[in-house]
Amino acid sequence: MGRATRNLFVGVCVVLWLAPLYLLAVNVLTPAGAYSGSPDWSPQGFALWENLSTAWNEAKIGSGVGSSMTYALVCGAVAVFVAAMASFAVVVLPIPKPAFWFWLIYSGTLFPVQMFLGPLFGMYADFNLYDTRLGLMLVYVAWNIPFAFFLIRNQLTTMPPEVTEAAMLDGASFRRIFWRIHLPLLAPSLGAAFIFQFSAVWNDLLFGITLSRSSDVQPVMATLAALDSAYAATGPPVILAGALIVSLPTLLLFLMFRGVFLRGVASSVR
Amino acid sequence: MSRTAAAAKPVRIPRRTPTRTPGPAERRGASRRLGGPLAGVPWVLPALLFVGVLLIYSFFRSIYGSFFEDNGFTRHYVGLDNYTRLAQDPIFGQSVLNTALWVAGTLLLPVFTGLLIAVATHNMRFGNVAQLVIVLPFVISGASTAVLWKFILTTEGALNGVLSTVGLDSWTQSWLLEWPQNTLSMIVASTWQGTGINVVLFAVGLRAIPRDTVEAAQLDGATGWRMFRYITLPQLRPMTVVVVGMAIVNSLKAFDMIWILTQGGPARSSETLALTMYREAFRLFHVGYGSAVALVLSVIVVASSWMYLRRQMPDTRAEGSR
Repeated sequence: MGRATRNLFVGVCVVLWLAPLYLLAVNVLTPAGAYSGSPDWSPQGFALWENLSTAWNEAKIGSGVGSSMTYALVCGAVAVFVAAMASFAVVVLPIPKPAFWFWLIYSGTLFPVQMFLGPLFGMYADFNLYDTRLGLMLVYVAWNIPFAFFLIRNQLTTMPPEVTEAAMLDGASFRRIFWRIHLPLLAPSLGAAFIFQFSAVWNDLLFGITLSRSSDVQPVMATLAALDSAYAATGPPVILAGALIVSLPTLLLFLMFRGVFLRGVASSVR
Repeated sequence: MSRTAAAAKPVRIPRRTPTRTPGPAERRGASRRLGGPLAGVPWVLPALLFVGVLLIYSFFRSIYGSFFEDNGFTRHYVGLDNYTRLAQDPIFGQSVLNTALWVAGTLLLPVFTGLLIAVATHNMRFGNVAQLVIVLPFVISGASTAVLWKFILTTEGALNGVLSTVGLDSWTQSWLLEWPQNTLSMIVASTWQGTGINVVLFAVGLRAIPRDTVEAAQLDGATGWRMFRYITLPQLRPMTVVVVGMAIVNSLKAFDMIWILTQGGPARSSETLALTMYREAFRLFHVGYGSAVALVLSVIVVASSWMYLRRQMPDTRAEGSR
C-alpha cells in the first residue's frame, strides 16, 4: 500500500467508525418533543440533561443501572473469589485428578447460554427464584466462574511451587497461604478477571429478559431493550440517551484499565 | 466476548505438586493438620456447586428435556419427535441459513477489515488513535450498539437520509424489513462493533514480528504485497487462528443485536438458531422443542471450534511461534 492510499484508507475507516457515534451525540441533544422524525446531522438545541433525566427517571433506566451495578460488582467479585479458591485447589493443593476438576469447571464456558436457559427457568419457577435479584445473582456468579477460573489458573501455573513449599515449611495453614501469599501475588489476573466479569454481567441481555420481568429486578440492558420497543412513545432522543447511559460504565472501565483489559483478551485467546 | 475462551485451550504447563522434605514442619504434624490428598476438595466445592448445579445440571437437563413435548405445564415423552420436526420446520431451515450467513459474514468482514486496518495503522503516525477509535464500539454493549444502529437502519433512519441527500434515492430501502437485507445489514452493524478487537489483536501480532525477519526480507528485495504475503501473513498466523476461532464462536451465539434490531422478524425471516431457541422456549412455550434447537446449536458451536482448533493448533506449535 502506498502512503497516500494507506492514509486515505485509515481516514475513511475512522470516519465510518465515528459517524454512528457522532449521530448518537448530535441526536441525544435534540429536545425529545422537537424530534422531526428523521435523524439530525447537526445539533438542534441542547436538551442533553432533559433527555438523560427522562431516560433515567421515566424510562426507568436509573433503576436498571442500580440493579445492574449491584449485579456486576457483587457477582464479579464473588465469582473471581470462588474461582481463585478453585484454582488454588487445582494447582497448589494435593487433590486427585486435577485435570478432571479443571475441565469440569471450565466446561461451563463451552456451551451457548441457550443450553442453560430452559432448565434454569424451570428450576427458578420451582424454587421461587424467578424474577428475584437473588436468582439473577446466582446465575451470574455461576456463569462467570469458568472464565475467571481459566484466567486465574493460568497465572497460578506460572508461579513457582517453591513459594508454597517455603510457607509450608514455616508451618502456615492452607488458608493462610492462600490469603497471605497467593491472593496478593495473583492481583493482576484477579483484576483482569474482575473487569471481564463486570462487563459481562453489565452487558448481559439474555439472562435478564429470560429470568426476570419486573422493572426493579431487571438488569439495565433488559430495561433498554424494553424502552426501545416502546420507540414511538418515548422518542428516539430519549432512547439514545438511555443507550449513552448504559454504555458509560464499561467505556470508562475500558479507558481506565486498557492495558489490563487487552492483556486479558490476549491471554484468554492464546 | 469473554465467553470466547471456549475457542482457546488452557495453557499446558506441567503441574508441580509441592513436595515436602521431612523437616520440622513434618514432625509437628503439619501433614495431618493440612489434611491428606482430599485437602483441596473444600476449596473447589463452592465453584463446583455453582457450576455444577446451575450450568452442568441445566445442560444435561436440557438434553433430557429435548425428548419431551413440554409446554411449561404438562409434558410427555416423544422420543426424537422434536428433532424430526426440526428437520421439517421451514423456520429452522431459515434459521440455519441465517446462522451460516452470520458465521460467513462475521468471519469475512471483521477479520479481513481488522487485518487491513491493523496493517495500515502499524507504525503510522496517530495509528494508535485510529485503533482506539475503532475499538471503542467493542466496549459498549451489544444492546446499545443495536439501539444506535436501529436509529440508522430504520426506513426513516440515518442511512436512507444520507442516501437521498447525496442523490442516491434509488438505493434507499427498508433495510430491516426484507430478507436478506436485514441479515446483511445486521452483519454490517456487528462488524462495526466487533472489528476493533481484531485490529488490536492483529496489532499485537504485528509488533511481535522480529525486526531481523523484516530486514532480511527487505535485503532480499521484498516490498509491498510480496512482503505482506510471504513475511507478514505467515508470521501473523498464530494470531489469525485466535481471531478466527473467536469469530466463529461469537457469531454462532449472536443474540443481542438481532433481538433488538428485528426480534428475528419480519415473519421470523432474520432468526438465527440462538433466536429461534429463545422464541420457541420463552415466547411460544415449546420448551422441549427449544431445548432441541439449543442442543443443535451447542453441537455446532463445540464441533466447529474443536475441528477448527484441532486443524490449526499443531501447526502453530510446529512453527514455534509461542
